[in-house]
Amino acid sequence: MADSARTRFDPYAVLKTLDRHRVTYIVIGAFARVIQGSEELTRGIDIVPSTRPENLRRLKEALGELNAQRDDGRKLRFDEHSLEPMIPLRTDAGELKIVPEPEGTRGYDDLRRAATREPLGQGVRPSVASLGDLARMLGARGREIDLENLRMLRRVIALERSRGISWER
Amino acid sequence: MRRTRCGTSGGIARRAELSQAELGARVGRDRAQIARWESDAVQPAFETLVELVEACGFELDFVLRPLEPGRTRDTRIAKNLVRSPEDRVRKLLRRLRD
Repeated sequence: MADSARTRFDPYAVLKTLDRHRVTYIVIGAFARVIQGSEELTRGIDIVPSTRPENLRRLKEALGELNAQRDDGRKLRFDEHSLEPMIPLRTDAGELKIVPEPEGTRGYDDLRRAATREPLGQGVRPSVASLGDLARMLGARGREIDLENLRMLRRVIALERSRGISWER
Repeated sequence: MRRTRCGTSGGIARRAELSQAELGARVGRDRAQIARWESDAVQPAFETLVELVEACGFELDFVLRPLEPGRTRDTRIAKNLVRSPEDRVRKLLRRLRD
């Protein structure tokens, strides 16, 4: 089992594996916010997968290759009818959270409209949730711990606007 | 007669109710140069700015203030936004290693 305390976070390994298995997903959470310009530290990736059966089958294969294990030690099961709101995993390349329907959204089909492909190097170009959607998700969680990140994200949005860059894509 | 509103010292010149020609005469520059500064086509050197402000009957004053936390954060974010998404991820990984 992957041990996150000793595992080096390698987002490229995670994203390449997902792409190799042709998984359809959108990156959200802290890693997405960093990609969009926020200044945070994270050792994991959160994704919203398409919950179509074929995609979940591909995702399961990709997770097998990454040696993904549940944090709570329970068996990893994917069924489109009984998906948990959030599945925290440890993989050989760091933490990975599967979030089929993030708070404040209606899941993949809701987020994909504003998501953009962001080139991260090494041939990796994941779909990343828009700044507006990332703020929406943080706001919906309403946790004290997220307030500072939400404030920072709002400043990113304001500064992007002042630079004349359209962020609502 | 056109009243000057020099881009850099415009507010001051306006308060002094000076025309471009009048201000130009006071600092020994022609009206066209004042017009260029006024339109922000070019910026006067710092020494010239001091001269312009004084010609309008004012003086520049400077106050050093500690940077507010919000402004420090904005500066960091602004720097980040200039980076490409790839560079932002590289920076994250570097920070995790350090």
